[in-house]
Amino acid sequence: MYEAKEIDYAVPGRLLLEGADLSVRPGRVTALIGPNGAGKSTLLKVLAGELRPRRGRVLVDGRDITALGPARLAQRRAVLPQDVQVAFPFTVAEVAAIGLPPGERAPSRIAEALERVDLAGFRDRPYAALSGGEQQRVQIARALTQLASCAGPGYLLLDEPTSSLDLSHQLMVVDLARQVAREGGGVAAVLHDLNLAAMIADEIVALKNGQIAARGTPAEVLTDAIVADLYAVTARIGSAPPSGPFLLPQAMTRA
Amino acid sequence: MANAIYNSLKLVFLLCVTILPHEYLGAAEGAPVEMVDSAGRHVAARDTSRVVAIGGSITEILYALGLEDRIVAVDTTSVFPPQALKDKPDVGYMRALSAEGVLALGPTLVLAMEGAGPPDTVKVLQQASVPFISVPEGHDAEGVVAKIRFVAHAMGADEKGNALADAVAEDFSALAAMRQRISEPRGAVFVMSMGGGSPMVGGQGTGADAAFKLAGVTNVMSAITGYKPAVGEAVLALEPYAIVKMGRGGGADDALLQLPAFALTPAARHKRLIPVDGAYLLGFGPRTPQAARDLAAAIYPDLDLPKLPERPWTKAQGAAP
Amino acid sequence: MEARTGRTARERRARLGLLACAALALVATLASLAVGPVTIPVEHVLAILWRAVGGSAAGAEIGLRETVVVLDIRLPRTLLGLMVGAATATAGAVMQGIFRNPLADPGLIGVSSGAALAAVLWIVLAAPLAAALPLALGSFGLPASAFAGALMVTMVLHVVATRDGRTSVATLLFAGIAFGAMAGAGTGIMLFVASDQQLRDFTFWTFGSLGGATWAKLTAAAPFVLVLLALAPPLARALDALALGEAAAFHVGIDVERVKRLAIAGVAAGAGAAVAAAGVIGFVGLVVPHLLRLLIGPGHRLLLPASALAGGALLLGADLVARTIAAPAELPLGIVTAAIGAPFFLWLLLRRRAELFG
Repeated sequence: MYEAKEIDYAVPGRLLLEGADLSVRPGRVTALIGPNGAGKSTLLKVLAGELRPRRGRVLVDGRDITALGPARLAQRRAVLPQDVQVAFPFTVAEVAAIGLPPGERAPSRIAEALERVDLAGFRDRPYAALSGGEQQRVQIARALTQLASCAGPGYLLLDEPTSSLDLSHQLMVVDLARQVAREGGGVAAVLHDLNLAAMIADEIVALKNGQIAARGTPAEVLTDAIVADLYAVTARIGSAPPSGPFLLPQAMTRA
Repeated sequence: MANAIYNSLKLVFLLCVTILPHEYLGAAEGAPVEMVDSAGRHVAARDTSRVVAIGGSITEILYALGLEDRIVAVDTTSVFPPQALKDKPDVGYMRALSAEGVLALGPTLVLAMEGAGPPDTVKVLQQASVPFISVPEGHDAEGVVAKIRFVAHAMGADEKGNALADAVAEDFSALAAMRQRISEPRGAVFVMSMGGGSPMVGGQGTGADAAFKLAGVTNVMSAITGYKPAVGEAVLALEPYAIVKMGRGGGADDALLQLPAFALTPAARHKRLIPVDGAYLLGFGPRTPQAARDLAAAIYPDLDLPKLPERPWTKAQGAAP
Repeated sequence: MEARTGRTARERRARLGLLACAALALVATLASLAVGPVTIPVEHVLAILWRAVGGSAAGAEIGLRETVVVLDIRLPRTLLGLMVGAATATAGAVMQGIFRNPLADPGLIGVSSGAALAAVLWIVLAAPLAAALPLALGSFGLPASAFAGALMVTMVLHVVATRDGRTSVATLLFAGIAFGAMAGAGTGIMLFVASDQQLRDFTFWTFGSLGGATWAKLTAAAPFVLVLLALAPPLARALDALALGEAAAFHVGIDVERVKRLAIAGVAAGAGAAVAAAGVIGFVGLVVPHLLRLLIGPGHRLLLPASALAGGALLLGADLVARTIAAPAELPLGIVTAAIGAPFFLWLLLRRRAELFG
């Protein structure tokens, strides 16, 4: 289990997280939802070890991550950050290979990861020449490469993995996350699209103002009252618009 | 625009500073001396009672003429005689003058070696009401003698000037006679410094080259013009008989001799490293015949070159009789 | 083919490129040993080297002078050139990796400004006294103080940019600029009070030269350059990961703070020693890694050793030009590297622009 316990995190003048708990369990997918500025990404970064909380602890399988150190932590979890700028003219395969552990050269693992994100023929293309969505998929492939090199089934932390993706590839991310869970890994994903969150998650954790506002199965959390409270909207779950077409990802499968 | 205003204000200020002393200082002697200076300007020195001397050789000449009482300030290159910088205010380095600094002491005449600078400052000084005379530089016997006559003439002291010039010309003739005894000229290299790693040597057109000529020494670095860093190995290939080094040091354990490029030269093998005083050898003033003779004596010890007669101006205490 | 070797065309080209750099460095080394104002046949040069490593050379009559020229003048100069070039180019590549910017160089962490300030302080204030000092101080004073200046400024900048154990690259950059300006002012003050000869000494020092190469200087500089060359390859993976940003590098297991500390220490030692031994030599640290990135890709595992080799080769080539083109005068080395490097860099830039924007 990968857990954050009673996390307080502050920047000068502002408390971003207050007493936040989060558990990512092997074999399960946890979705983090909430309005802008609720602290979803901050919580994920604390979980990843990137930010040091002012109070609280983060444990991987019972061990404190600060004691683990970056190298050993990287053998337990892979992270997809929200925005990645690549500084030099690396190719797609070279960016994906950065997920490999030190000293390892595994062209087959890179090829496999690129195939899983629909970029099989892209390995020698310059990363900078790709579209935003393609670049995001390369980063997903890099995280998958790292995850595949973990000792045993590890954990995958995804920060808005679908932000640049088209419909089909949003579904691809859902499938990938579910597959990781099926193979015994634990997944945490920050998502804005509640439909995708409902599809992907075994558990949804809703944040508001740096605190956990609700947690439970998608059916327990995605209620009219909770959504209305979270986002300050009037909301009716499961109701079709009176006129005009609409499309839910739940009603699609990838060709 | 603002710059122009600033400059004209500066000029007005300078004029005020320079005009004031005239009110209560009379002319020292005789009628104004009209002359063409090295910048080609016609300048008249009306009053030679308060002179700023810019350039070591000018100061030396003024002391040799016994006119040191008229010097109100010197520049930092005026290291001989030693009391010059001790007794007189210092207007700074001759190539980095400040117009106000030069005029602040209320001079009635500025004598500066050609090459004094920076050029903009010199322009300001030339336009000031105090006569500014550029003294032509000379790196050979005729040039040095002419320099002495020029300075003396500017000071209205032609008689003393002719006596000094004649004495120095005599010394130069004695030096030329010594050069006649050199049947096989020896080659030497002049090393100014080791600053950048490679030796900085004196090539053609430098004072060092001219001093070598006066001493009857061949400059092995004549393929270079000016002071430039030389390829170490090239120094070795040119096989200098001696190394002439600016500044102090010069013992057998001098760092220079230990450098591989120098270590194998005949000069280093026989420990022929000659340190010279820059102001003495490269000053080109009244002491130049003596300096060239000393260099020649160091490079041709086998010829037993006689010392030149001692002159009042070659002695460090050198005030005129 | 690819399936069997598991290497892409780019990887194969990169390996070839590395080999080419090694070959280039070898050729430059031999040329640097064989050419000079003293004419020595190549076979004599080889025989002298062969004897020096304990071989027995048959035949060839070789004079003491030739032996000394090759072993005491050209060999230390050549080795110093290789070292300075390797250190400068490697330091450039490492700094560019840490700053994630292809224009970064050791100057950003104060190496050049610190060295220059210390050098001018030495030339103006200490050297006049040092003429009377014993040999060791006389010839080592300038490089030693330049090295100390480089290290000190880098240390100060590092302390300024580090808070709670985290070094901010952005703060480092701005502090570097601020300190560069302060050091520039200090240098200016020193130059203001300097004499003509000291000005000239400093000017030529800033242009760089391998002219002062001796075995003693070489031995003094070598350990620091070796520190950089030994530290750099283990940082290759970290520098690759840093291309994705510090956060992503941490995610894949890089101890980012430790990497920054090591890189800065290595660069300060290596580039500081290079500047101390040969003065400021421009453009090598910028051009070499940039060119190699185009040629063999940005992967640091090959880029770092290739930079070291190509940097050494380029510097020896430039030095060869510097000491032959105006012989017996010596052109300052930094002028040659800038004169060759800058137009080449511009050409490269324009060509790439044509490719990118038609």
